[in-house]
Amino acid sequence: MTTGQSDDPQSLVLESTRFGRVEIDPKTVIEFPDGLIGVGGSRYTLIATDQKSPFSWLHSLEDGGLALPVTNPEHFFPGYTLELSEAEAKRLGIDESSPIALYVTVRAAPVLSDFVANLRAPIVVHDGVGHQVINQAPGGELRASLFPAERIADSSAA
Amino acid sequence: MLKITRRAGERIILGDDIVVTLLEISGQSARIGIDAPRSIPVYREEIWVEVKRENEAAAQAAAALPDIGEDTAAAVAPPSVTVTSEPQ
Repeated sequence: MTTGQSDDPQSLVLESTRFGRVEIDPKTVIEFPDGLIGVGGSRYTLIATDQKSPFSWLHSLEDGGLALPVTNPEHFFPGYTLELSEAEAKRLGIDESSPIALYVTVRAAPVLSDFVANLRAPIVVHDGVGHQVINQAPGGELRASLFPAERIADSSAA
Repeated sequence: MLKITRRAGERIILGDDIVVTLLEISGQSARIGIDAPRSIPVYREEIWVEVKRENEAAAQAAAALPDIGEDTAAAVAPPSVTVTSEPQ
């Protein structure tokens, strides 16, 4: 257990191997009843180390070393759509008009051109509960490049 | 591993509330129906393995992510979700 009570009874303290001691507002805790696929964990929070960055961290509250970079897919893949079966939508307790937040996990790499996001298994957060789901939409790549060569060329030319 | 022989139409019950039905056998493939409580996610193995690998790889990232020099504070479109009905 890496969380505990801080001096402020309203906040949790996370001892992160990456970020040290981080105070967490309990309202930002996301419960994952089924964990992340193959990785587990039941309680996470989102940590933004830089408000201007498109990346934040989905950080376990149970394992101070478990954190995955995530991003809002709209930043990099405008028009990205999540398609769920009825059964899956019911499992998540959502429908097409539910207020949800959507994230995709990011594999960081030494060079930007190797950064990829997993569009096939996004993370849906609704009402403080998160699920990693399999996107039924066609074209949901497992490793979609975040910075394709043409994009890097465009930004360096600007 | 428990091994059970089933004919098309026969079922296997796991616990009290998971029913696996062998629906149809055709050549090298078998069509399987699964009735499980809504809360239990069901995955095809190869997809589960791929996503597990991606999650584990993502979790290797060092704390410092690169500054990509873009102002991404601008609002983006809200998430788009479509729900499709399953073929019977």
